[in-house]
Amino acid sequence: MDEKIMEILEEVCGAEPGELEPDVELFEEGILDSFGMISLFVELEKKLGVKLEPTELTREELATPAMIIAQVKSRV
Amino acid sequence: MIPFEGLFFFVVLAVVLAVAAVLGLCRISLKWYGLAVTVLMCVLIYNTPQEFAMLAGFYLWELVLVMAYLPIRRRCAKRPVLWLFLLLSAAPLITVKLGSLIEPLHIIQLFGVSYMSFRALQVLIEIYDGLIDDVGVAEFSYFLLFFPSLSSGPIDRYRRFTSDLATKFTREEYIEMLRRGFWKLMTGALFNFVIGNLIWQRWLAVLPENGFGATVSYMYGYTFFLFFNFAGYSMMAVGASYILGIKTPDNFNMPFLSRDMKDFWSRWHISLSTWLRDYVYTRFVAASLRGEWFKDRRTGSYIGYIITMLTMGLWHGLTPAYIIYGAYHGLLMCANDLLDTRSKRYKKLKKKPVVEVISVIVTFHLFSFGLLIFSGRIV
Repeated sequence: MDEKIMEILEEVCGAEPGELEPDVELFEEGILDSFGMISLFVELEKKLGVKLEPTELTREELATPAMIIAQVKSRV
Repeated sequence: MIPFEGLFFFVVLAVVLAVAAVLGLCRISLKWYGLAVTVLMCVLIYNTPQEFAMLAGFYLWELVLVMAYLPIRRRCAKRPVLWLFLLLSAAPLITVKLGSLIEPLHIIQLFGVSYMSFRALQVLIEIYDGLIDDVGVAEFSYFLLFFPSLSSGPIDRYRRFTSDLATKFTREEYIEMLRRGFWKLMTGALFNFVIGNLIWQRWLAVLPENGFGATVSYMYGYTFFLFFNFAGYSMMAVGASYILGIKTPDNFNMPFLSRDMKDFWSRWHISLSTWLRDYVYTRFVAASLRGEWFKDRRTGSYIGYIITMLTMGLWHGLTPAYIIYGAYHGLLMCANDLLDTRSKRYKKLKKKPVVEVISVIVTFHLFSFGLLIFSGRIV
């Protein structure tokens, strides 16, 4: 599951496989923006059936790949 | 009485906040007291029978809509139903804005309608999202009418607001809120009444009405004036909120240090830009991605920026200056995004200190020119 979520995240960020560190600050580093975030939500819904509402979680709660993975896994 | 203006308001505010501080320090919940003083403030602010009737009508309308939508949403998650409720909820706002164009509607005026409507719309959208499944009459009334941020924001969020209402702060936590609230009130007053007024009196008021040089000077002066005036109001509103036990979010974060327009909108009128991001831009882009409306996925984002920023302009008012201001920012956001995503060279360069300094200066001029449009001086 972790790899699947990471793959989706890398795809929406335009990153190479394995390029993203689990604790990198996605918004602060400019890797993820509002568009990337929505793309991530839409892809998670399409590929994993996990639905996240746009204001369900704050950016602070989704700041790093590790945090995103934890949030998604808690909803599977 | 106008919030944060005139001696009478500040005398009433001082008494209201002094009592709140005593209650807060005694660890007595400020919820009912805050609601009671909000009603009192509304009576003082909307002090003619027409104004009060207009507010009462608006309040009941929004309350009925929210209370009616809750049980409907439990049974039906259809989007057109949400759209209908959003349209009904926004009807008073639209009517007031149209009043500037259509003479008979001009009699419908409601102070603070822009801010209160965005609060109500947000509740409806989050009921649809399933994030709000219960709304208390007292909580919603307090949230909708919360007096410190009635006239100039910030626009708080219902779930955040009610989580503060439900929190029993420790004495130490409340002392910290009191300290921060008082500091924000004082800084806000300094920004608004001293610096803002000085810029107005000594700089803007003495400028000639025409001429290129005067207009350039006005652009700089107006940018600084608006910041100190508006950020001052916001800080006073946030400060008063803190003392009432509500941690209303800050509305400004050093906008003059913005490195690009996206950064600017995360620092200027933050509560409005994040509202529009969460409830307009995000929704449109998500729909465009789900429905695969465009060949290039980013096209949805660009159209989303234009729609979002035009909404921002229209929210300020239906004048050419505000609409052009919205379109201008929509185009700037698209240009910003194109530069970010299409130019690898720019991506590398923008982290260099010299480029950062140049970016800050360019961004300052871009948003200053936007505010010159907003001011109505050149349109």
